[in-house]
Amino acid sequence: MSDPADTQLVPPSTVVLVSGGSRGLGLAIVTDLLDAGVKVAAFARTITPELEKLAADHPDRVHVGSVDVTDLRAAQSFVREVEQHLGPIDGIVNNAAMGQDSLHAHTATDDIARIIETNLTAPLQLTRLVIRRMLGKGLRGRIVNITSICGQRGFPGLVAYSATKGGMDAATRSLARELGGRMLVNSVAPGFFASEMSAVLGPTQLDQIVRRTPTGHLTEPVEVTPVVRMLLREHTNINGQVIVVDGAASI
Amino acid sequence: MHSLGCRLRRMNELSRAQIRDLMAQVLKNQDKELPADDAAQLREIGFRSLDFSELALRVEDETGEELNFDAPGLRRIATVGDVLDFLVELQHQ
Repeated sequence: MSDPADTQLVPPSTVVLVSGGSRGLGLAIVTDLLDAGVKVAAFARTITPELEKLAADHPDRVHVGSVDVTDLRAAQSFVREVEQHLGPIDGIVNNAAMGQDSLHAHTATDDIARIIETNLTAPLQLTRLVIRRMLGKGLRGRIVNITSICGQRGFPGLVAYSATKGGMDAATRSLARELGGRMLVNSVAPGFFASEMSAVLGPTQLDQIVRRTPTGHLTEPVEVTPVVRMLLREHTNINGQVIVVDGAASI
Repeated sequence: MHSLGCRLRRMNELSRAQIRDLMAQVLKNQDKELPADDAAQLREIGFRSLDFSELALRVEDETGEELNFDAPGLRRIATVGDVLDFLVELQHQ
């Protein structure tokens, strides 16, 4: 079926679902969106005191839940709760992911399966779930996938992880085509953070990355959140893109 | 066993000495020699991380048990003794 171009603009997201919103970049995204006046639904396996506090401070604008992103049923009921509390979801940030730090030859096959399930299968299913609700209601919205520079460049010890991030970048492009302008779909691919999952690179590797980075420092979550917010909120014609935020380390 | 002061080993487990022999073979294939001293630095011998992979896979072949491990442990390995300790320990996991 070939449709004529849909020329109606995609409005800014007003209710945004953030997976893995309890710490690190996810928590920074939740905080930033709240500051921008957006309603935010955040879930994570474990709700941290920080996320709990945001929910207590903004009871009308925040909905949090303890959901494992690989548990589709739990995600489904969370989405229903959110719709009742905050209204229909018209934005999603696929942020939840697990890291890796093992050479491929010595990574247990179960671990490979778990990385793929958490970082690739789960976000694809969550996206499917949310776009079904959005399409069903005739809503337009935005999708932002948090991927990684690993989706485009090679790093030892991150083979399965890289495969999932490259997979999400590829899905971003096809989804942007498939959703025919009703939704803007983009990826944000940060370089390595000094904290969190970048514990996966040893100090020597991190030093080396810093040396090769023109801006002279590793990426910080606050340097990524404005880009995510722009993709969710601003009127741009950016669609199906992967925006790298790494200080030109990979250039 | 106890009277000899040996640690009870699982049937398929390689001893430290057996692992040392395999390590010597890995190096010999590259025309390098394994020093007798456990304190010898891997950097000086030219035993690199993929050589460690090769050795771990040779141990796997001998025991029939997969040895999976994360990279941070590898980064702490600097001497011949570290390699042997790591692989002996790994077989117990």
